[in-house]
Amino acid sequence: MEELLNEVVPQEDLERFEKKFAHELELDGEVTIETKFEYAFCLVRSRYTNDIRKGIMILEELARVHPDGRRDYIYYLAFGNARIKNYSDGLKYCRAFLEIESNDQVRSLEEYIKKQSDKDMAKGMAVAGGAALVLGGILGLGIALAKNKQKRNN
Amino acid sequence: MSSTPYNYNYIFKYIIIGDMGVGKSCILHQFTEKKFMANCPHTIGVEFGTRIIEVDDKKIKLQIWDTAGQERFRAVTRSYYRGAAGALMVYDITRRSTYNHLSSWLTDTRNLTNPNTVIFLIGNKSDLESTREVTYEEAEEFAKENGLMFLEASAMTGQNVEEAFLETARRIYQNIQEGRLDLNASESGVQHRPSQPGRTSLTNEAPNNKDQCSC
Ligand SMILES: Nc1nc2c(ncn2[C@@H]2O[C@H](COP(=O)(O)OP(=O)(O)OP(=O)(O)O)[C@@H](O)[C@H]2O)c(=O)[nH]1
Ligand SMILES: [Mg+2]
Repeated sequence: MEELLNEVVPQEDLERFEKKFAHELELDGEVTIETKFEYAFCLVRSRYTNDIRKGIMILEELARVHPDGRRDYIYYLAFGNARIKNYSDGLKYCRAFLEIESNDQVRSLEEYIKKQSDKDMAKGMAVAGGAALVLGGILGLGIALAKNKQKRNN
Repeated sequence: MSSTPYNYNYIFKYIIIGDMGVGKSCILHQFTEKKFMANCPHTIGVEFGTRIIEVDDKKIKLQIWDTAGQERFRAVTRSYYRGAAGALMVYDITRRSTYNHLSSWLTDTRNLTNPNTVIFLIGNKSDLESTREVTYEEAEEFAKENGLMFLEASAMTGQNVEEAFLETARRIYQNIQEGRLDLNASESGVQHRPSQPGRTSLTNEAPNNKDQCSC
């Protein structure tokens, strides 16, 4: 897991998808879901916190408007938050995911975040407090889905 | 994997590529855990696994990047090809379309890796003989034409899984021995760990522990 979180996007890839994003925006005044996702996928793997935050914003938007891709967005939302050490939000996204689908890939990310967050706690550091407001919408949806599923199973 | 510092001499980077559902993650899981996952969800982006193997009395740590085959990840997972010493290219013997797409996977691999990258073709799900759509012979011919190593394997039974990873490592090691790989170049996909366990009493040297940041 560590290796995945430490891997940094090659600069030229980030720039390529940034250009694609900007180009579509300029041409059509809007950007396709595909391009938004590709750009966000690069941003959350950047070495810079500001890039990661920007990636998180795009993924949050995608998770709202494009339910079909939601598992990808939620995973990378957890991933991006983990990379900027925003462990509480990272964990929330993992849990939202796992309520809908049992998944080892997400479970190992969750375990990793827990471990890191415990380490930080042990060091007497306050974990970024207060869940971001934006989380609410997506989590609400996730929980709603999970409830539906439970109903079906019962 | 708990381990004493540097209990290996080399690191080789591998990628696993191929259409979605051909069994890439199951192959990796079978190799690292010796278990089969019957209900494996689609990989999101990329997964990672490692295992230490032995070639010629040398311990080699394989770092394996298992990419998502879903189309929406195709463009972005190309990042992971760079610096791969080995590429396992997988198709499903029971789905001809996954075989037909091999030339496009091969083109990507050739374009994004270095000329010495060892490419190993795996025809997975060899346990499903009754629903086979691709013969062994035609795949073998394709491999020969393109200079690829080739085996049929089954992530379910484990047949030939180990062999594919090990054969690839042997070929990479051979390339090192014959001086075809520049170990100082990051795109070779190989790192040499100079300390040789057994010869010196190392131990104060920690493996690159990026995790130890004090923040
Ligand atoms: N019978 C049989 N089934 C297999 C074998 N390998 C994988 N499967 C099944 O095929 C399905 C897909 O396997 P995965 O390993 O998830 O495929 P993948 O290539 O990683 O797919 P993506 O992550 O979407 O790219 C799973 O349901 C596996 O159980 C095999 O050797 N034999
Ligand atoms: Mg997979």
